[in-house]
Amino acid sequence: MSSDTAVAPGADAPSLVVGEQFDDAPQQQAAASLGMWLFLATEIMFFGALFMAYAIARVRFPDAFAAASRHTELVLGTANTAILLTSSAFMALAVEAARVNARKLTMVLLLVTAVLGAVFGGIKLTEYVIDYRDHLVPWLDFAFDPRHATGASIFFSLYFTMTGLHLVHLVVGIALVLAVAWGVGRQRRNVVGDHVEIVGLYWHFVDIVWIFLYPCLYLISRA
Amino acid sequence: MSLPHLARLNTQVIRVNALTWVALLVLLALTCGSAFLRLGPWNVVINFGIAVIKAALVVLVFMKLTKGAMTIQIVAGLAVVTLAILALLSGTDFWFRY
Repeated sequence: MSSDTAVAPGADAPSLVVGEQFDDAPQQQAAASLGMWLFLATEIMFFGALFMAYAIARVRFPDAFAAASRHTELVLGTANTAILLTSSAFMALAVEAARVNARKLTMVLLLVTAVLGAVFGGIKLTEYVIDYRDHLVPWLDFAFDPRHATGASIFFSLYFTMTGLHLVHLVVGIALVLAVAWGVGRQRRNVVGDHVEIVGLYWHFVDIVWIFLYPCLYLISRA
Repeated sequence: MSLPHLARLNTQVIRVNALTWVALLVLLALTCGSAFLRLGPWNVVINFGIAVIKAALVVLVFMKLTKGAMTIQIVAGLAVVTLAILALLSGTDFWFRY
């Protein structure tokens, strides 16, 4: 292999490999972070359009949205929020562990994060099954109070679209976390450090999207 | 059984992350509890306000936005500002149309 890479100087990251287009490891890490933040900026626009659609529909059908929201599973949604927030805390620790090159600890923390993400996904799918049994899926056998049927149908269309897209992002996140954990476990060069950090950024973003989805979908009117 | 190499982590970092996690769960309890109070339009304000605070905690502590490069802060800021502009334009159109 040609000398297109070089081991980065500095004792903190003995396994880091620097691409030839970068001057040093910090520059490479800064570029990786910037790239992920740029991607997250596009994701903000992506989810932002859905939240805007939600806001307009909620203003048009306030009573129907309140009635429909009361049919969501508050306990499961709240538990899922706590699980995802906890997973973010573990991910933040994984990034710190990677920073000090504690490989085993990084791998353990990443696996805990992935497991919590999987639990979130399992609970979300359970919710979908309950929603289906309660005839709340607009494209199937939707049944709701006729006074609010139109607005409730729009609410649940947005509910499944937004939580479904969030779930897709979560599954991608779990795959990325497991891939990085596997790389750390195999002691692959260049995995610890910047890879963990940029996957962490993605994971936290998925968490933030849910932070806004939770009150929008579960908490409209419970009093 | 203790986690391997846990001692290598900076205790200050662990403490800050733990406190942030506790704060996030407390805020979750607050926002959930407030939904059971009849506060009229304030329900929305409280829910959205707490969501913004929770997101800010994640961005500032877990994602370390303020410790990143200036270019990253500009990208993150521009994304939020652009979204706000688009929301404002769409909202204005909707407001006068209906």
